[in-house]
Amino acid sequence: MTVETPSETKAIEFPDGIPGFPHLRRFALVEIVEDGAFQLLQSLEDEDVAMVVCVPWLFFPDYAPELAEDDREALGLERPEDAVVFCPVTLEPENDSVHLNLMGPFVVHRETLIGRQVVLADSDYPVRATVDLGGA
Amino acid sequence: MLILTRREGESIRIGHDIVITVVEVRGSQVRIGVDAPRSVQVHRAEVYDQVVEENRAAVRTLDRSAEILRTQVPPKEH
Repeated sequence: MTVETPSETKAIEFPDGIPGFPHLRRFALVEIVEDGAFQLLQSLEDEDVAMVVCVPWLFFPDYAPELAEDDREALGLERPEDAVVFCPVTLEPENDSVHLNLMGPFVVHRETLIGRQVVLADSDYPVRATVDLGGA
Repeated sequence: MLILTRREGESIRIGHDIVITVVEVRGSQVRIGVDAPRSVQVHRAEVYDQVVEENRAAVRTLDRSAEILRTQVPPKEH
């Protein structure tokens, strides 16, 4: 099955899939609103699978994820500036509070558009960092 | 589940290129070494499971979060 997205959308390839959805490999970043802080990571193979994602530094300017050598090599990342980083966004249904997963960011090579969701297991970054939208 | 008995220093091979080695056994703890290709991500299960659960939650709460976040613009550059 294919999912319709704007024709200029470039596909990001996750060769290993992503945790929870290992069978899905091709995704696209879609804007929710023009120049918005949040984007949609939409599966190109299953229209029901999409999540909001966000560049972490907008809300956590000191965020400094350290990639394992295996991750850097798997992505062909030679320089930090080759990496595009964004984090999954979850919502607490009870109170509509917004969280970023800082422990499991998506890292995509800017040129090849090959990506991986890395797991920063040895970091102290939480899977649910509360976003202060009022500060945005 | 396949269950094998191994001693310290002994290994298990999975497929052609994954080797699991029992490095040390001490009391109730076991240190395990994993040799795997870079394409295979190796994590403690409970940590990986957390990321799985967050991804599922992100997909599950998409409609409401998109609705709330549609109005959010990037913070001003300092």
